[in-house]
Amino acid sequence: MLTDPAGGRAGEPAECLLKVAFTGEDLPRLRVLIEQRASLAGLSEPRRGEFVLAMDALASNVVEHAGGDGALALTRVGDELECRISDSGPGFSEDVIPELAPGINGGPAGRGLWLTRLLADRLVIAAASPGAVVTFAMRLA
Amino acid sequence: MPVWDEVHPATISVQRMRAGDHCFVSYGDDESNWDVLTTFAWTGLARGEKVMVFAAPQVSDDEVWSRLEADSPSMARVRARGQLVLTSMRSLIRPDVGFTPERQWQRIREETALSGRQGYTGLRTFIDMHWVPDLDADIDVMMHRESHAGHLFTDGSYSEICAYDRRWFDEDVLARMCRAHPVNLLTRLGELRAVHGDGSLRLIGEADLATGEQFGAAVGEALTRTADARKLVVDLTQLSFLSVRCADDLLRLVRAADGHDRVEVRCESGQLRVLRALGEHGSARLVLTGMGRRC
Repeated sequence: MLTDPAGGRAGEPAECLLKVAFTGEDLPRLRVLIEQRASLAGLSEPRRGEFVLAMDALASNVVEHAGGDGALALTRVGDELECRISDSGPGFSEDVIPELAPGINGGPAGRGLWLTRLLADRLVIAAASPGAVVTFAMRLA
Repeated sequence: MPVWDEVHPATISVQRMRAGDHCFVSYGDDESNWDVLTTFAWTGLARGEKVMVFAAPQVSDDEVWSRLEADSPSMARVRARGQLVLTSMRSLIRPDVGFTPERQWQRIREETALSGRQGYTGLRTFIDMHWVPDLDADIDVMMHRESHAGHLFTDGSYSEICAYDRRWFDEDVLARMCRAHPVNLLTRLGELRAVHGDGSLRLIGEADLATGEQFGAAVGEALTRTADARKLVVDLTQLSFLSVRCADDLLRLVRAADGHDRVEVRCESGQLRVLRALGEHGSARLVLTGMGRRC
């Protein structure tokens, strides 16, 4: 599969469903919005709940570790629902994701990314200048 | 938080409303009310229900559409096909001018039946109670309506939120109306409420980044409180959201509770999958149950 530098699928027809900046206080409303847009895009339960859970984990990371605010884009790309979260923090790589479940190897670091990698059909972490762009997607089928 | 709100036995978040619920909510600021309104509408649309919004009469339709993000492509489609409707109590009861419960009930039954014929899974209405002064309705008549509307909800095809502005309604009316509704809603998004019982902890609302500290403190307090009994039940089934971090914190707290023989965590299927993925099997004292059964 071809991907663009930020981890999106290249060359597929895309429909932007939501584009929004956020801070910590926006997270409850953002979860509701993502749930609604994901439902209208055809992502059914239990995958929809997992999509919201992953989005919240990544957005919470931005609020806690990357300057407190970020931007989110929700896009339907081909047969996938894609969420892209960007920030202007210090940046990071996939190395922060623990190999084993966070409860097994002891440390809480990277638990949101770890679970997102487990739940998503696609997860890409890319560097930006400044910050990072994390993209994950789930198939709508 | 007013006492009448605190003691209602069936308090849930708006996201957890089920078809057939008749809910009370109060608000002291407009932003909280918008959050409940939009969440209610969006959740209903996602479930395939028809949504009718009776906003406060002093609020323009343009503002309601804007809050509902009706110009986004997906919402524009919903609006165009008539799944989302803005109306008013004045319009609903026409050609009548004065409010009577009987006329309103008749119209709601008609609208519910229409939504079924249109192919929707049900009808939900958000009713801002500012219609009462707008129609110069008698408060006692309004309260009679609220206390005797159970027949609208029996088959599960109709659900309703009655939103009371705490800046306008008297405390006594609010207390009586809260009691009169079978379900009471948390007043804003992102709220977490912990209800401590004898050997149990029930969590309601959203456990996330903002409420994570409160979540951990509630679990810690419950573990301390039940140290002598060595048993605790933590009920997560009324949470509308459990973040990865809070799920992980719960597992860590239970794992560290050496004085307990058993900590039962009651959860729903999504919560169960997350807890298992995070390493639930790290503690022998932790028992996960769903729908009252061991999982």
